[in-house]
Amino acid sequence: MDVNKTNQAARPDSTADEQIEQSLYARQEKIYPREVHGLFARLRALGVLSLLGIFYGVPWLRWGGHQAILFDLPARKFHIFGLTLWPQDFIYLAFLLIIAGLTLFFVTALAGRIWCGYACPQTVWTEAFLWIERKVEGDRMKQRKLDAQPWNARKIRVKATKHALWILFSLWTGFTFVGYFTPIIELGQRLIVVNLGPWETFWIIFYGFATYGNAGWMREQVCKYMCPYARFQSAMFDRDTLIISYDQARGEPRGSRKRSADHHGLGLGDCIDCTMCVQVCPTGIDIRDGLQYECIACSACIDACDDVMDKMGYDRGLVRYTTETAMHGGKRHIIRPRIIVYALFLLTIMSIFAWSIAHRVVLELNVIRDRNSLYRETSDGLIENVYTLKVLNKDDAEHSYSLGVSGIPGLALKSDLKEIRVEPGGVLEVPVRLHADESELQSRSSQVVFTLVANDDQTLSVTENARFIGP
Amino acid sequence: MSGEEKEIPKLQKCIAVLWPSFLTAGAATGLFFSAFDPYDLFPFGEDTGLSRLGIYTIGFFLFWALTAVSGIGTLYFAITNCLRYNTSRRQD
Ligand code: SF4
Ligand code: SF4
Repeated sequence: MDVNKTNQAARPDSTADEQIEQSLYARQEKIYPREVHGLFARLRALGVLSLLGIFYGVPWLRWGGHQAILFDLPARKFHIFGLTLWPQDFIYLAFLLIIAGLTLFFVTALAGRIWCGYACPQTVWTEAFLWIERKVEGDRMKQRKLDAQPWNARKIRVKATKHALWILFSLWTGFTFVGYFTPIIELGQRLIVVNLGPWETFWIIFYGFATYGNAGWMREQVCKYMCPYARFQSAMFDRDTLIISYDQARGEPRGSRKRSADHHGLGLGDCIDCTMCVQVCPTGIDIRDGLQYECIACSACIDACDDVMDKMGYDRGLVRYTTETAMHGGKRHIIRPRIIVYALFLLTIMSIFAWSIAHRVVLELNVIRDRNSLYRETSDGLIENVYTLKVLNKDDAEHSYSLGVSGIPGLALKSDLKEIRVEPGGVLEVPVRLHADESELQSRSSQVVFTLVANDDQTLSVTENARFIGP
Repeated sequence: MSGEEKEIPKLQKCIAVLWPSFLTAGAATGLFFSAFDPYDLFPFGEDTGLSRLGIYTIGFFLFWALTAVSGIGTLYFAITNCLRYNTSRRQD
């Protein structure tokens, strides 16, 4: 290991800074969540792995000669598979954000905070970092012991390895992130020859640092203190929302007992007070105290407790997915007004979005009047107005277009340009002159209409109004 | 007075200011630059040697500075007003 890195990575852990580490945000104990195995842990691992796979893999996908998903900021265009969006299409992005937000509302009302437990980037990267930490430092007990012991060569080595791996992983994350905004293959080539631009470098390091800080250090504190969703999600909750809950009636009074003991005879409930559910909790809470806003519904406590119940020979589900209604013996209602309202909203917005994407005209025409002169009289006595047309081809294919104009009888269109041919995403400026006979002009300013039609596709057309000024 | 102020850790205050302003600055940057192309804003952009990415970045940090200043204001008034309220109540 390179010495420089060792020092750098190990510094934050020096004993003087120990306190800060424990109270990065609020004064609290560092949490060492115990590793869990079980059905939900596997589901979570599946979620985490597929989401990480998507995040790191998607920028490398190709589609029709370009990166499949690329929010090309330098070139000011977004590629989403076959769809190319320009800054003028900002509305679609706003639509997408609204759809994402509504989906989150809908899912929250239905299934509670499963977003937090399975899909939130904060959770996903924290899981990845925890995994690295476990591989390097060992399990919970070993991590505790290591943190408590004085600094020695081994501790420095282990900590340095962990941080070096974290930093590498973070930088790769930063690189991938930037790869969503500038073509990743070129970015990779520039990285290999160490020729990254200053801004790209800055954002890779910035995002990498954010990943390292959030997933390595802040962890559950982000959920507790910084996450807006954690604060307002309870507004979407009702008594029929899926929550993770401890079955008070069944578990209490809690207490330790022998495996063979008849605990009902002893007056005990099913909870053996082993605190496994507390030890696995990444946010360090006790689910047995009831629903708490710190709970990110990661379901680790379900797996832990099921495991204990199996060992004791009791039924599983002392801690389980349930609803408040079900917990109190009621019937669970999945379809309820709140769900219907959210679903209707969502469907409406999605249909509008799909419709407008399908009917999007991938052609734009802007008409700018020559500002220098209102009009000019030509040598053969006609009135001339000069315009600059800006043709924006928002399609992915090159097109040539025919231009027409109407609005004044006998109006003539003159242009020095032989053909209006625009490459995909290109803008072409077309200077044109309009000639009209003065006797045909009704007023000082008349309306004219430019029409632009693609030669290979009659449905691809736009019209744009302009003023024609006369004497 | 300073006794109560100490109850909110410095770091917590910093995050309370920097984090929401970071989010709003991000949104503002997105809105602003989808309406204006940096190269149209600064016709000499290419001469200054700044790429679009560079101008976006600077724009983002300017927005962040602006929103953070407003955050500091909010925090300052929230704390001082709250303290004044508490002290005046205690004297009653
Ligand atoms: S209480 Fe259970 S579900 Fe909630 S965060 Fe802790 S371990 Fe996860
Ligand atoms: S894991 Fe189950 S049995 Fe153990 S303390 Fe938690 S709720 Fe009780």
